[in-house]
Amino acid sequence: MKAIIVDDEAPARRELRRLLAEFSWLEIVGEVGSIADAAAQIDRLAPDLVFLDIQMPGGSGFDLLAQLEHVPRVIFTTAHDEHALRAFEVNALDYLLKPIDPRRLSGALARLKGATTPRAPQAEGALEQLFVRDGPRCWFVPLREVRLLTSDGNYVRLSWGRQQPMVGRALAAIEQRLDPKKFFRANRRQIINLDFVESVDLGIGGALHVQLRDGPEIEISRRQARLFRQQTTV
Amino acid sequence: MAEVRTPALRLTPSRAYWTCQLVGWGAYGLARFYAAVLFIPTSWVRLAAEILALHAAALGITHGLRWIATRGRWKSLRLPGLVLRIVASSALAAIPISVATTFMAVDALNNAPIVDAQGKVIMGEGSSPAYRTGVQVVNWTVTFAGWFVLYFVISRLREQQAARLRESELARALQLAELKVLKSQLNPHFLFNSLNTVRSLISSDPSRAQDAVTHLANTLRYTLNSSQDELVTLAQELEIVSDYLEHERARFEERLTTAFEVSPDALGVRIPVMLLQTVVENAIKHGVGELPSGGCVRVRAEVTDGVLALAVANPRPAPPASGTRAGLGLKNAAERLRLLFGGRASIDLDLSVPGVATARIRIPTTP
Repeated sequence: MKAIIVDDEAPARRELRRLLAEFSWLEIVGEVGSIADAAAQIDRLAPDLVFLDIQMPGGSGFDLLAQLEHVPRVIFTTAHDEHALRAFEVNALDYLLKPIDPRRLSGALARLKGATTPRAPQAEGALEQLFVRDGPRCWFVPLREVRLLTSDGNYVRLSWGRQQPMVGRALAAIEQRLDPKKFFRANRRQIINLDFVESVDLGIGGALHVQLRDGPEIEISRRQARLFRQQTTV
Repeated sequence: MAEVRTPALRLTPSRAYWTCQLVGWGAYGLARFYAAVLFIPTSWVRLAAEILALHAAALGITHGLRWIATRGRWKSLRLPGLVLRIVASSALAAIPISVATTFMAVDALNNAPIVDAQGKVIMGEGSSPAYRTGVQVVNWTVTFAGWFVLYFVISRLREQQAARLRESELARALQLAELKVLKSQLNPHFLFNSLNTVRSLISSDPSRAQDAVTHLANTLRYTLNSSQDELVTLAQELEIVSDYLEHERARFEERLTTAFEVSPDALGVRIPVMLLQTVVENAIKHGVGELPSGGCVRVRAEVTDGVLALAVANPRPAPPASGTRAGLGLKNAAERLRLLFGGRASIDLDLSVPGVATARIRIPTTP
């Protein structure tokens, strides 16, 4: 597993590197001291994990995540910003308080290892999660749990459990990074998660009506309906 | 607050007062009614009506007495004067209600004929109306005087309780304020980052780790021991500022450099403790610390025409990263200077040069 350390203080990076030395399965592929460098390095090195300091010169760790195309798993490190982490409402995530307690570090890494192994294999390069910041709230949204993506002006609304967070990107940009076996473009404005399809009904003029679990009924346009039949053998 | 300043002139009574009045007169009335039904051979309806009327009147009379006592500030009187007034006013108030009582059936409760073992009446029976009214006056005077005693005791207890409550609330608010100041003085973000630096240095450079602990201890001790109105010489303050900067250099490494230009005659000038330190902390927190490439913190001090001019200049991000917080620290510093020197000292933050922040402090050399 490849990891990268983002912290503006060199002694802090050295200390974390030293602490991580005993975890041989974790390979530290880089360390960076600023938000701008971090964004470039993460896109270039595509690490699986980022140790991210929250308070950084030129913006917070959250600003970095919002910039990223591909969001890796994140363990936040902070000296005194626990309150900043309360922005995360739904998903529990790991953070480490500096000076880092080695036991807490190994606990966080053990949880991470446990969480990654039983996953279904993903298509190469496909997006696993999105970092979403909506007003004061932040989420890591696992895409396999998103049943519907709806284009809304310059934003995309994710239907995820009971939440409807908005992402400031174009639907087409997200579509390129989605696993095509799982996600299907239903019409001009919507992409559905095939795992959530409950039933399919024939509509007028060759269109299809798809009922999503916990969600609305979506119309698949006539043009896409043929593709849908091929892909799902309905 | 009005209640605190003029407790004796509180004319509108509290809910507790009305509760006590109603419960007190009600309970006393019930007891008298019970005794009357037992001993007086009249219909209970008549007795109930009489007692109700009398006690309603008594409630009204005592309320009037309370009004007089409040207006006359009786609570602040010495004991003999108070006793005299209580007895006199109770006796006066007792006269009309006593006359009324004499014409009622319940009068027999106080003027019942007393019979000896042979059934012969010893006293009470056939006594004159004047005599019976006299007995009623004594009875009502004692009742009203007793009411006064109860009233003063209860209101005194309530005032003491309220004062104690206010005192403990005040003490709590004070403690909270002190705690807040202490917490911000400790600067937890700096503290925990520093400890992290020390942890890192312990393995990589033990002798620098030792130095770092010493600098950190000096900074903390100075912070904790200083009080808001204390003055120190610039030389003392510079010592702690350089200790602090030494420590921050261990954190930021090559990103932080410092430059001091201090004229010798400035060293002896007395300045508010922690003032320069706070400004330098801000220069790092909002300036150098916000820049990926860091920068230099310059401290200048010189004396001209009896005024010490201090300047702390640092590079800053193009738009001030968190202007409100820096503004608050500046406001606190300005308030301290105003309290200590009146209008003769000043502090301001110059952001006119893009990318540079300069804090300027002017303090008279003679306090």
